[in-house]
Amino acid sequence: MNTTLETPTNTLSAKEPSWLAERRTAGLDQFKKLAMPTARAEEWRFASVGKLSIDNFNPVAAPSSATLDALTERSNLVSDRAGLMVYVDDAPANFECIGPELAKQGVIYLPISEAVEQHPELMEKYFLQESTELGSQKFFGLHAATVKAGAVLYVPKGVEIEKPFVNYYWTSGSRAAVFPHTLIIAEDNSKASVVDIFFSETEENEALNISVSNIHAGANAHVFRKVVQDWNEKTVSFQLDTTVADRDAQVKNVAVNIGAERARFENQTRIEGAGADVKMYSLTVAEGTQEFDQRTFQTHNAPNAVSDLLYKNALLDNSRTIFSGLIKVAEGSQQTDAYQTNRNLLLDPSADANALPGLEILANDVRCSHGATTGNVDKEELFYMMQRGIPQRVAMQLMVFGFFEEVIEKIDSEELVENLRQLIHQKFSGKIS
Amino acid sequence: MSDTDLQDQAIQVDTEKGNFKYPENYEFDAGVGLTEDTIKYISDVKDDPDWVREFRLKALEVFQKKPMPTKWADKDLENIDFDKIRYYLSKGQQPARSWDDVPDDVKETFERLGIPEQERKFLAGVEAQFDSEASYSRMKEDLEKEGVIFVGSSEGLAKYPEIFKPYFGKVIPTADNKFSALNSAAFSGGSFIYVPKGVKLKQPLQAYFRINAENFGQFERTLIIADEDSEITYMEGCTAPKFETATLHSAVVELVALKNAKIQYITVQNWSSNVFNLVTKRGMADEGAEVKWIDCNIGSRLTMKYPGVVLKGKGARGEVLSIALANDGQHQDTGAKMMHLADNTTSNIISKSISIGKGRSTYRGQVHMPKHLKNCKNNTECDALLINTNSRTDTYPAITTRGQNNTVQHEASVSKVSAEQIFYMMQRGLSEGEAMSLAVNGFVNELMKAFPMEYSVELKRLIDMEMEGSVG
Amino acid sequence: MNHSLEVKNLHVSIDGQAILKGFNLTVPKGEVHALMGPNGTGKSTLAKVMAGHEDYTVESGEVLLDGVNILGQEPDEISHAGLFLAFQYPMEIPGVSIANFIRAAKQARLPEGEEINAIEYYKDLYAKMDALKMDRKFTARSLNEGFSGGEKKRCEILQMAMLDPKYCVMDETDSGLDIDALRIVSEGVNHMRSEDRAFLVITHYQRLLDYIVPDVVHVMFDGRIVHSGDKELAKELEIKGYDWVKEAFATASA
Repeated sequence: MNTTLETPTNTLSAKEPSWLAERRTAGLDQFKKLAMPTARAEEWRFASVGKLSIDNFNPVAAPSSATLDALTERSNLVSDRAGLMVYVDDAPANFECIGPELAKQGVIYLPISEAVEQHPELMEKYFLQESTELGSQKFFGLHAATVKAGAVLYVPKGVEIEKPFVNYYWTSGSRAAVFPHTLIIAEDNSKASVVDIFFSETEENEALNISVSNIHAGANAHVFRKVVQDWNEKTVSFQLDTTVADRDAQVKNVAVNIGAERARFENQTRIEGAGADVKMYSLTVAEGTQEFDQRTFQTHNAPNAVSDLLYKNALLDNSRTIFSGLIKVAEGSQQTDAYQTNRNLLLDPSADANALPGLEILANDVRCSHGATTGNVDKEELFYMMQRGIPQRVAMQLMVFGFFEEVIEKIDSEELVENLRQLIHQKFSGKIS
Repeated sequence: MSDTDLQDQAIQVDTEKGNFKYPENYEFDAGVGLTEDTIKYISDVKDDPDWVREFRLKALEVFQKKPMPTKWADKDLENIDFDKIRYYLSKGQQPARSWDDVPDDVKETFERLGIPEQERKFLAGVEAQFDSEASYSRMKEDLEKEGVIFVGSSEGLAKYPEIFKPYFGKVIPTADNKFSALNSAAFSGGSFIYVPKGVKLKQPLQAYFRINAENFGQFERTLIIADEDSEITYMEGCTAPKFETATLHSAVVELVALKNAKIQYITVQNWSSNVFNLVTKRGMADEGAEVKWIDCNIGSRLTMKYPGVVLKGKGARGEVLSIALANDGQHQDTGAKMMHLADNTTSNIISKSISIGKGRSTYRGQVHMPKHLKNCKNNTECDALLINTNSRTDTYPAITTRGQNNTVQHEASVSKVSAEQIFYMMQRGLSEGEAMSLAVNGFVNELMKAFPMEYSVELKRLIDMEMEGSVG
Repeated sequence: MNHSLEVKNLHVSIDGQAILKGFNLTVPKGEVHALMGPNGTGKSTLAKVMAGHEDYTVESGEVLLDGVNILGQEPDEISHAGLFLAFQYPMEIPGVSIANFIRAAKQARLPEGEEINAIEYYKDLYAKMDALKMDRKFTARSLNEGFSGGEKKRCEILQMAMLDPKYCVMDETDSGLDIDALRIVSEGVNHMRSEDRAFLVITHYQRLLDYIVPDVVHVMFDGRIVHSGDKELAKELEIKGYDWVKEAFATASA
């Protein structure tokens, strides 16, 4: 991979603006300059970095139109939507643009390449401006150098859109490297929701994903982002996501993660305006030898704001999870309410759950707490159900799926929730007994 | 080197606080800085057996190789200059000390704590040493009848190698961290205790008897072995706030609780505010045994201390109960480690910290349950109370869980005393300071119930004193 | 000497917004006065200002206890001067037991060097708890933590009885109480009525005044007292409702 990426050739187009070319070069420099993570780095504590390799993955040529059509056909988790983009190996497969009604109000929903051409000022202000600080700076650099696929959503002041925008990012080719990007800019008093879905074409195609998503929520904006990650178990994935929330903004992130061989999540929330309210919810079901490595950072730079994080992990087989979260309340950010909860359900003695919940509090008038629990299914509850005549296997499933529900129901969309339940049940019912 | 040079360089001497004198004869003074010669010198003076000499020299190598824990630790650590520290002063070279030499703020502490006259005298010098020596001897006699060994580290290693050697440096290996290596190279003083099978000591053993009997070093080394079915409580620093002006205190404390034994180790640390207090404490609990650390940190400039328990035998129990109070200019960086290595082991950590003014308190924890274990439990609670708007608290636990039917629970919270709570209490007639003290004592109250009575009382007083002037 | 609680031409604002606008009231010792009025009219503000709460800005006026102005004093000084405020929402103080709290409050009233007599103290405490039908085990519980509404209010009355104040201001003591608790709390108050003590009972509802019968009833609206009368006034208010007050006095006060 290094050889193909020495110079960012595979970029949008020849006439890319200079600011973007500069960001790409800076990204490539960062990628080349920084070393691969080591186990000794605090940001990678407990992660099996020895097994981490991104060698021999490469951007691949666009798949056949038959593949594009077939995968577009399969992009059907959400039918009631305001817009849709489907990418396969970073090549556009389908694009349902917004209706004239929204266009008239100034809403922008475009592939990145078109947004760069048509709205250069907007893109210069927001595109590739929020890097991760949680350990994957090297991979962010590679993303910046290479990104070509992705969706930009811009919602002007006061415009409220109820239906979601749905973005599918598929992998298909052999050892494909993909770099999808979702950029959401919600201006003051606007409202929008986005669903990002990460899928693999087959159970076998090996892939590397380094995706980035940035949310900019203006004053009193309401943004809801839902993420479904169901890569096959031959995928190495990085999701480097940030949220910046202005005054009174309300942002909700809900993620359901069941795929990938190794999946690293870096999720940063920065509260820059008083009264903002940001929620970060995640459900992960890990099986086989999967490793889910979650790093979160809630920064409160303004008073009277709320951030709430709930990460639930269920672990089967020899799987591993790492949750490392930090809440930082800056000096002067009084009346902060910040919460962080990590719950791990161990369903196999070989599974390995690690928790590193952290607090750094520099203001005194705050309500902050974190909790981390790890345990098995409650034997007494199991006994109680069995005493009522429920077979153990069914009782176990009831309890495990019950554990998932707290996050799933937050997705707040009947169709998607139902589809996710089915996805999870199909995949794991056989394993829970 | 002139006398003045020496005074300037010997950082035990805080010229503002005490006017200590050194005799002109430096024959038994290891001088400043840490080299092989310093260590050999210490061994010579202590007449160490050969294996101890080797142990020290190896430790020195490790110490010199190991980097400072700069990645995660307080940057203030970098202010320690190992070349300016005086590692050993033998008896003849003790600073002359009288009650008048005790710094005023410490004196005030003693007065207001109501430290018994006898202890004051003991801390003050020769006269009391005699008194305490007598009581120490009496105590020793009683213990000896039971077969209890209670000696200093050098004496322990020299006289009872068959008892202490097998465990010395085993619970905390030399290379555990830079400061355990430092201690292993330069240790002197401390207590070595052996409690025979089935002996249950009713009275706690107290460190200050030992301080009296032998010079309490900056690098004291303590090893307590509780044989099967025995019980012991050890207290250090209880009613004797240590007033040494040493800027580096680096102790190693190892506890060994054999089958069904119980060890409780209690510390109230109230070093003066110029001391780096970097201490390694760990206990090993065999089958059915219990190791309990009660650890209160009120003083020092920077404390880094994470008492741990290695739960080695089935059904072993480990506990760390700690209270930290960080005032202006202080960083209490404390925590706990629980290593579960056998089935049915349980551990409990409760940590309460209070940050006042610009004080900073940090909790670091580690709980480890490997794959092959079953039915292990850990419970961790960390609560932080922030008094002023510029106070700070951090929490960094690390928890690894695998295995069957193991449960781990960690909870942390941060709170403050609200203005409305203070108003409510003032409406009932309490002054603002009293109201604040009451609220802070309320915060630690539940935990203090687990402490021996005399400790709770003293701790409450210390907290009240620290709280003064923190409001408004 | 003037034996009364006297509020003179009190103007109070919070964050620049005027709440009390020339409030006048005199409650002589030996009397119970009720202060009624619609929500948001400044009743609780009055209570907090009298107790010295720092959130409020006193623009002008005086609050006199026995002729001495207490405005500007610290809350504990006002408490020592003899004013007790029974809070509408008593604070929860984790880890501080009722027994220790009241003891500390009593200790704070003793001269330097004098220690409270523990045996006498507990005898007194238990007697008063019995009268309020409070379980003695309550003394060990953290102050107000996890208490029901009724328990909190009873605990307020217990503190009032233990601290023996000259002037009792009771802020919405009836809120959140069922009829049994209301009766017990009222009995506690009635038991304390004496020639040497005055009460100001702040309430939204007439119900409480069936149990604590007032000598004078004041109606408050928009930051001042607009009407006063005997206990029948409370009943009239109950029937006619606060809209009547608004209609009758809104124009007058505008």
